[in-house]
Amino acid sequence: QEVVISGVVRDTSSAPLEGVTVSIVGKTGSVITDSKGVYSIASAVGQSISFSMLGSEPVRMVIRNDDPINVVMKISLNALEDVIVTGYTSERKKDLTGAVSVVKMADIENVPLGNPVKSMQGRVPGVEVGASGAPNGGVTVRMRGQTTLNISNDPLYIIDGVPTQRGLQEINQSDIESMQVLRDASAASIYGSRAAAGVIIVTTKRGKSGVRRIDVDASHSLQFYNSKINTLNTDERARAYWQAAVNDGRFGPSRNNPQDPSALSLIYDFDWNKDFSNPQLNAVILGQYVDPEQSMRTSDTRWFDEVSRVSQIKQYNIALSNGGQHGTSFFSLGYYDNEGIIKRTRSQRLTLRMNVDHSLFNGKLKIGENLNLSYFKDAQIPTGDVTSLALILNPILPVRTVDGGWGGPVAGMDDRQNPLRLIEDNRQNNNHFARILSSTFADLSILPGLNFRTAFNVDYAGTFYRHLQVPYQSGFLNSDVTQVNTNFDYSGSLTWQNILTYDLNSNEHRVNLLLGSETVNNRNQGFNASAQGLAIADLNYAYLTQGTRNILARGDGNSDALQSFFFKANYNYHDRYLASVTIRRDGSSKFGSNNRYANFPAASLGWRISEETFFKDNINFISDFKLRYSWGQTGNQSIPAYATYSLYRAIYGTDLTWDPSEGSAYDIGGQGTGTLPAGYTAIQTGNPDLKWETTTQSNFGVDFGMFSNQLTGSVEYYIKNTDDVLISPPYLGVVGEGGSTWINGASLQNKGLEAAINYTQRLSDDMRLDVAANITRNRLKITKLPNNAIIGYPGNGTTYTIIGHSPNTHFGWVADGLFTTQEEVDSSPEQPGKALGRIRYLDLDQNGRIDNNDQQYLGTSDPDFTYGLNLTLSYKRFNIAVFFQGIQGGVVNNSYKNLTDFTSLAPGSNWGSRVLDAWTPENPGASVPALTLVNTNNENRFSTYFLEPRSYFKLRNIEIGYDLKDAFERFNVSRARVYMQASNLLRWKDRAYTAPDPENPGNGYPVPVIATLGFNLSF
Amino acid sequence: CSKSLEKLPQGVVFNENLKTPENVEAMVISAYSALGNDHWSVPYTTMWAYGSVRGGDAYKGGGGTGDQNDVHAYELFSINRVDLGESDGTWFRLYVGVARCNAALALLNEMGDDVFPQKLMRTAEVRFLRAHFYFLLKVLFKRIPYIDESVEKSAYQTIGNDLYSNEELWTKIADDFRFAMQYLPVTQEESSRITKGAAQSYLAKTLLYQSYVQDEQHNVTSKDQAKLNEVVAYCDSVINSGRYRLSDDFAENFLSEYEKGPESVFAIVFSKSDGTPQGRINAGVGTNYPMNQEYGCCGFHQPSSNLVNAFKTNANGLPLLDNYNTNDIVPSGDFKTQSFDTRLDHTIAIPGHPYKYQKNLVFQASWNRDNATYGNFMSMKETVAYTDPTFMKYPPFMSSAKDWPVIRYADVLLIKAEALIELGREQEALPLINAIRQRAQKSAARLTQADGTATSSYFINTYQPGVNCVWSNDFARKALRFERRLEFAMEGYRFFDLVRWGIAAEFINDYFSVEQGRTPHLAGAAFKKNRDEYLPIPQNQINFSQGLYRQNFGW
Repeated sequence: QEVVISGVVRDTSSAPLEGVTVSIVGKTGSVITDSKGVYSIASAVGQSISFSMLGSEPVRMVIRNDDPINVVMKISLNALEDVIVTGYTSERKKDLTGAVSVVKMADIENVPLGNPVKSMQGRVPGVEVGASGAPNGGVTVRMRGQTTLNISNDPLYIIDGVPTQRGLQEINQSDIESMQVLRDASAASIYGSRAAAGVIIVTTKRGKSGVRRIDVDASHSLQFYNSKINTLNTDERARAYWQAAVNDGRFGPSRNNPQDPSALSLIYDFDWNKDFSNPQLNAVILGQYVDPEQSMRTSDTRWFDEVSRVSQIKQYNIALSNGGQHGTSFFSLGYYDNEGIIKRTRSQRLTLRMNVDHSLFNGKLKIGENLNLSYFKDAQIPTGDVTSLALILNPILPVRTVDGGWGGPVAGMDDRQNPLRLIEDNRQNNNHFARILSSTFADLSILPGLNFRTAFNVDYAGTFYRHLQVPYQSGFLNSDVTQVNTNFDYSGSLTWQNILTYDLNSNEHRVNLLLGSETVNNRNQGFNASAQGLAIADLNYAYLTQGTRNILARGDGNSDALQSFFFKANYNYHDRYLASVTIRRDGSSKFGSNNRYANFPAASLGWRISEETFFKDNINFISDFKLRYSWGQTGNQSIPAYATYSLYRAIYGTDLTWDPSEGSAYDIGGQGTGTLPAGYTAIQTGNPDLKWETTTQSNFGVDFGMFSNQLTGSVEYYIKNTDDVLISPPYLGVVGEGGSTWINGASLQNKGLEAAINYTQRLSDDMRLDVAANITRNRLKITKLPNNAIIGYPGNGTTYTIIGHSPNTHFGWVADGLFTTQEEVDSSPEQPGKALGRIRYLDLDQNGRIDNNDQQYLGTSDPDFTYGLNLTLSYKRFNIAVFFQGIQGGVVNNSYKNLTDFTSLAPGSNWGSRVLDAWTPENPGASVPALTLVNTNNENRFSTYFLEPRSYFKLRNIEIGYDLKDAFERFNVSRARVYMQASNLLRWKDRAYTAPDPENPGNGYPVPVIATLGFNLSF
Repeated sequence: CSKSLEKLPQGVVFNENLKTPENVEAMVISAYSALGNDHWSVPYTTMWAYGSVRGGDAYKGGGGTGDQNDVHAYELFSINRVDLGESDGTWFRLYVGVARCNAALALLNEMGDDVFPQKLMRTAEVRFLRAHFYFLLKVLFKRIPYIDESVEKSAYQTIGNDLYSNEELWTKIADDFRFAMQYLPVTQEESSRITKGAAQSYLAKTLLYQSYVQDEQHNVTSKDQAKLNEVVAYCDSVINSGRYRLSDDFAENFLSEYEKGPESVFAIVFSKSDGTPQGRINAGVGTNYPMNQEYGCCGFHQPSSNLVNAFKTNANGLPLLDNYNTNDIVPSGDFKTQSFDTRLDHTIAIPGHPYKYQKNLVFQASWNRDNATYGNFMSMKETVAYTDPTFMKYPPFMSSAKDWPVIRYADVLLIKAEALIELGREQEALPLINAIRQRAQKSAARLTQADGTATSSYFINTYQPGVNCVWSNDFARKALRFERRLEFAMEGYRFFDLVRWGIAAEFINDYFSVEQGRTPHLAGAAFKKNRDEYLPIPQNQINFSQGLYRQNFGW
């Protein structure tokens, strides 16, 4: 008897549940509860109705009559029933036997960093994320340490089934439904090639059947510096200069021939007592102008303030989703505009997504398309130069000359650019980037449980820019070149996947089989042209055709292909015993014909002890307990496309600003100009025997849940060995150009421990606390390296080699404080340049002389452990989430110490304020070496003086939200929430780290504080 | 299905493609190109960092001792190390030149004379180029692995740097020059190609170096008379060819408008607006201009006070051979109270003196980068006027497309004079040295201030035995060595002269003892005899060779 059943689904607190899937067992088609928890579905008496929802126990009832069926569903506190997308298919979390983490999108969806991966830092165990504060900063992601010594240490991203190695900043964060991180080999090996450094699977949102919905999200943020570096002002720099010059005459290198600092300096005059034995500075005398031409007034410029600003991030997103019997659709449009905290830096993005499914033949055939279009416009400000120039430019220089030109260096200063000029002269230059990421698929249900899916994916990205370089005059720096530089390049891949799956489920056995193939074709090409001699320095005029001189063009391209076959079988007996086997066979065009293919097997076992009766009967407080073991291999082929061949190239000329020319042209006719005859140069030596690099990983894991899964967690221990690492080591100099060759030469090992724990406590009916914490420890070492490659790593190549150490190990001298008495100087080992106030180095080999042999390993940049802690407190309509992240242990090279602690290593620069507390006979307790203008003691040698603790602990994110849903209820609003958020608000570091932020030891683009106000609204 | 994994390399050339006459010609050009592919980090065209700075002619200059710190280590000797990046880079770049020559020679050898009639001449050119690169390696590193085109690349790993003795290495280099001399024409249609005269001159220069026989500890133990006689003979061939003479004015050797003048025997050729990004300019001196607005980078290669003093002349117009350095000319700054050789103002930029003959562009102390460390003088032979058409700025650096003379005819004359003196024929050397001095005498025309007065007080005379000197063999040797210093000051070969003569330790330690009182940056400097005559074999290369290469004595 045909009946229409309706009802309301609520949770245990009687709140209506939206999005519960309601279906009739054995029939296709389902409906979903609306915002009031109401559903309505056609059925027949005697059939079973099923209610299911992620994160809850499914409910099944038999229909007796046409009475409404109201259901209470228990939201489980853990996510054992969650369906996890893993290699080409999905599994229930409780069936997983590999190390897989699910990123809670709810925790990070509002963080306006422009890349969800940035927000993963500290939230997923085993994943280390490195990112700068730049508006379009890509990220580096290291999963379980450094997997290889070549470039491809970033994970493989699978976006709706499309494999890509481009970062996630290129898609809209709001479109992401879920993200899973596959860390161990059994989970990742189905992706075989390119999966060695881990896999991040991203699934974007789709329309849901029976739901029509509009989501609107908007946020505005302000961002600003909180990691400013203290540089000297004009008076302080003059005083430091005076101190250095006086020290030199008093006990330094010119003590035999002391020189008056006023005579030495071209910039400053000093009123002082002219007594080198007891020097006293009365005043610094500055002229009205810095330069003899009187164009630059003596100033006190804070260059850091000049280049930086408080700026905005704007983020808007609208999404429409719709679903019916015959298909679903999802459409979204996103806009993200990040004006960086360095002036005129900016990244603007527009993203559009359309995910469409068509359901045909009663749902037996599904045809669909996921389409993502992205467009970026990024300002091209040379921020690396700007941030360092802001630290080193002399504060006495003005930004502008008296007649509005650019201030710039005068004699006695370094040849460094005015950073404001760099910013303003590049303000017209933007990069334009577009990407199309599309997956077209057909999914055919052949028989119950037997499914075939085919997908054709297109991933093409292109960059275009037209940059104008303008002439300038800035101090003694100038250029009369007006140049346009135009570039276009694209890279793309076409992927075709065919997958056959068969699921066989009975009460006792669950079997999933998967058979698939994948081909990938990569191609990239580009050209670049420039021309000088433009009549007008204006971007509207600056096209290549207008060039009259030095018209240059170049272009390049390459292609490669992959072909793969794979098989996977999962078996589950009584939800108790779990096993899976994977085998993948991969071929790559990058290898010689003998070694093109390699097999990557994996296997895993799981035992849910908590399902055993002896366990259930005896141990009550443990609600879930699973032991897992996995083993597997993954591959890497990230080398240039043609490494197997010995090749020459016509290299006419190369840029010779920073490197010797590689060109092959010569003015053989002696005309001095014009097109020259040119030849060819060797570029590489081929290795026809190249083969796949292989990573073999064993993973031991435990999942547990206690107190009805109020407390859940997992612990993983892994050993990851990478062999036949593809490296291109430095080579014997006599070979000349083209001696580089790729070999399968090295081995690496990572070992580590990861733990994650989640705890939920209902404090009252209105209040709930969620705690998520994780900790990771990874140990990396190189276990094998050919002799000639050893030279490329820290060590001396003989008694200290990197074998057995991390490649991030530091090697150098040990600084042993300062010489503070002449007696110490005289009695210490021979050390060229030793003197009062200078750094004393340890004579490690005790031969009475400080030399090359007094170097040793000084520690590594690898931290002892990294950790993250997320606390969420919900109270009625409020919720507050606080996220901390930190690393502990390891040392970094604080390269900026060159300027904060020395006046001699860059005598023309501005210096850091630490030089004001340098050693003098009158300041005997100081740790900063005596100021000098001449580095006689070779103090820029790499020593422990520059190594400082890397540890930090940061309040990464704090969010306070308020749910306004009730207030808007009459507008048919299903979600209304406002929130305030702050990123990078607080920071703790070791006192021994002398610069502001150990996360940014090179003082590149600083990580800003971001304060955000936003709302989420759904209809 | 494996077909889909066949991807043909894009935009590259295979060795097989190169075996045509056109492409072999192109590979010869590629070898030539290596001549001028140096850089301020490896300045092997002018050799300023290796020869001037280490020879007491110049300080490193630049922004403090940390700026190009490896050159600072060269300058002080005491802190030089086996693992300096600059030494390793120089080694590599010079072997790039050798490898390009060997690649071209291997292809040339495969060419039949019928399809490639130029074969012998091109082979001669390339062997000259190879010998040039090996010559530089030899004077820098002494014991070097010698590899020619007959060695398979796979066997490079087996060629040690002691496979050949010191003598044999010199002979190998000389053999290439001999071959070149035999098959090269006196003049070439394309003016930058190597000529017979260049090969003869470089052969004479090589044999001169070889004639001072060194032991393993770098001591000069004897002088090979037969080789010295050969030196004289080859110099005579060049002199008698009638193709070369001294330029009328010393300045013309260092002005772009006189490139390829009568004195140029072997020059490295540069070009501009030639389709390369910044032009094929002399990038090895890209840091050697002063810091004023017309230029602006980067103040390297600054003449020492010792060198400035060397240009003083006595009442007879002769150099102060023994006591030139006892008084310090620097503090007075007055170049009128004392007489000087004209070459002073051709070579050295001095505050108050016009820069590079530009009357209205007077060099200022403030144009120096770091006076506190490196004083007030700068170098000018390698630079050009900012208005010169060959001048090229490529921010932050600048240089020019002016050709650089590696062997000038003046060198041929002084090489011959040196050989004659060592053969005991100092009387025959006298007119050669005096020819150099006479030309210097006549080279004051450009050295005036804007008001037409002489920039410095010049007085220079020839050696006149019995009138102003006693021309003994010892005196002649002293005069010759001093003349070489004045004539070739800042041209990059001073240090190698000192090592050849076996007096490097003596001269440089004397230089340090006085100069350390004048400038603070030399504190701790000391030349270690029987070690510092050569750079160490770079530690990287010893490691790459898996210990096959042997370190130089003393290191």
